[in-house]
Amino acid sequence: MDVAPQTSRLEIPGAGPAIPGSSGAELAHLDFEDERVAALQEQRLAQRRRFIERLQGEGLLLVFGLVFAVMWASSRYFLTVANLLTAASVVSILGIMAVLETLIVIVGEIDISIGSVMAATSVMIGLLVTSGVDVWLAAVIGLAFAGAVGAVNGIITVYFKINSLVTTLGTYSIFLGIAYVVSNTMTVNIGGEGFGKLGSGTILSVPVPVFFFVAIWATVFFVARFTVLGRHIYATGDSYEAALRAGIQADRLRVGLFVAIGLSAGVAGILVTSELGSAAPQIGDPYLLSVVTAVILGGASLRGGRGTMFGTLVAVAILGVLQNGFALLQFSSFLENTVIGCLLIFAVLTDRLVRRAER
Amino acid sequence: MDGIESEQVVAADAQASGGGGAGSRTPLLELRKMSKQFGPVQALSEIDLKVYPGEVTAVVGDNGAGKSVTLKTISGIHPPDGGEILWQGKPVHIRTPKDASALGIETVYQDLALCGNLDVVQNMFLGRERTRNHLLDENSMESAAAATLSSLSVTTLRSVRQSVASLSGGQRQAVAVAKAVMWNSKLVIMDEPTAALGVAQTAMVLELTRRLASRGLGVIFVSHNFNDVFEVADQIAVLYLGRLVASLPAKGLDRQVVVDYVTSGASSRNGSQLAHADGA
Repeated sequence: MDVAPQTSRLEIPGAGPAIPGSSGAELAHLDFEDERVAALQEQRLAQRRRFIERLQGEGLLLVFGLVFAVMWASSRYFLTVANLLTAASVVSILGIMAVLETLIVIVGEIDISIGSVMAATSVMIGLLVTSGVDVWLAAVIGLAFAGAVGAVNGIITVYFKINSLVTTLGTYSIFLGIAYVVSNTMTVNIGGEGFGKLGSGTILSVPVPVFFFVAIWATVFFVARFTVLGRHIYATGDSYEAALRAGIQADRLRVGLFVAIGLSAGVAGILVTSELGSAAPQIGDPYLLSVVTAVILGGASLRGGRGTMFGTLVAVAILGVLQNGFALLQFSSFLENTVIGCLLIFAVLTDRLVRRAER
Repeated sequence: MDGIESEQVVAADAQASGGGGAGSRTPLLELRKMSKQFGPVQALSEIDLKVYPGEVTAVVGDNGAGKSVTLKTISGIHPPDGGEILWQGKPVHIRTPKDASALGIETVYQDLALCGNLDVVQNMFLGRERTRNHLLDENSMESAAAATLSSLSVTTLRSVRQSVASLSGGQRQAVAVAKAVMWNSKLVIMDEPTAALGVAQTAMVLELTRRLASRGLGVIFVSHNFNDVFEVADQIAVLYLGRLVASLPAKGLDRQVVVDYVTSGASSRNGSQLAHADGA
């Protein structure tokens, strides 16, 4: 043990061997000590990392189980097929956007304009329909509009090098304002038997929005895990410089992801408009907080480079059960905001812990 | 000015006579009167440098002497404004990093450009992933990465599936070097590879550097640290205020001569040094 302090003393200057022509035997000796200290350190770090990984993996499942059990005990309607399907349908809207938001967070950005993009899409569809456009065509135009807003977010963030939090806060406000002004804060009824099925129809008694969510989740899971594109998203989120030097088109990649999340907000807007049978500017309000909470709770780091589709799925399920439970127990929806806010803080604190374990 | 130019001629003579017959072989890379200007600042003026395969050419110099600009010019980040670059005797243009890697020039940057969240294999193949039916071919990449690492005798890694965030500084350097070597590269540029390392890890990286040269690769080794330079270099090129003031064989070279060149661009000890080199 008496050799160890000497090793560390020699290392402090960090300027390489202090004695010119130090012999190979000396170096080999130092090598051994160095490696042993490094190995110990690495072992400790690995242990902590494993603990954190379990906290984020199994821990999250545990939270889900807990929330599920509490709701089961609290309401006898909770564990019925009809109720669970309703809960799934409601949470699918959030889930669709959370999946793409996870990718955005992994690549090191954030998009908080989704709620207002949803609202603007809905209002646009309403306007088009009242002026005589076919509802399906209106939906397609609405979707294109949502994608275009995503492109604007992406281009401002990436090419003008503006923090995406600020960019999307700006577009959030812009489009929410436009949605309210243009709609004159009125709700516009939208007819069309077939269009209504998108949001409120069922296939084999499963609500249609659930299919949208599952399909989008599965696609993104696959892309993130098994494709070059997914690999490049993780790499860019961890180190933009390293990605550029590896020849990855990191800028195009980020703009593309902003377009994708814009489209997902468009899909969410269309589904909600269809379900309600009306277009309204306030439909996006609850989603900003809950989508970001789902993503961070699911283990994605706001620093970028970290996050899984599985984590987001479980986090979305937790939020789904909570929202459903609050509705069943007839708690105030304001209390729901409080609880989701607490979850968000808890999730960010866990993220902090993870990062500390990595250093 | 005249003084510096005459020094250069002397230095070139020294290389021809004392460089172990280096003059008769074709250099892997040759810079002829290469210049680079940034606005009003002449960053490099008429650099002449020869890099031979199987040799480590150290580039030393004080801060601002032009070391990073030189290597960035060779690696295609800052294309030169004047002069010529010869690759294996033929003139080439290196305008982008892609041009450089197409020739077989790979750079290991000081900050390594690795992604901590990805594992060793994923980092080594970043940007050049192998696919099979459009999906990542993990098995093929893993075995190729492992083969490259073991051919460089990098044995301290616990697993090639370890995330890079969990590696020590020396291990990261080894991964970055292995990444550079994997693409059939002929010239590896190492920018301050030992700057952030402890004693043992420095020794490991220097050993790795020698191993690259013994495999027949050309190595450009940019460093501040004379101990490291004298341990690995075959040739030592000294930059002073954007000019190449000396290019000397490292064997038997007096350390103080290099210090003189680095700090003042000239050395009064030059004559005695040459005599010494000839005697050796």
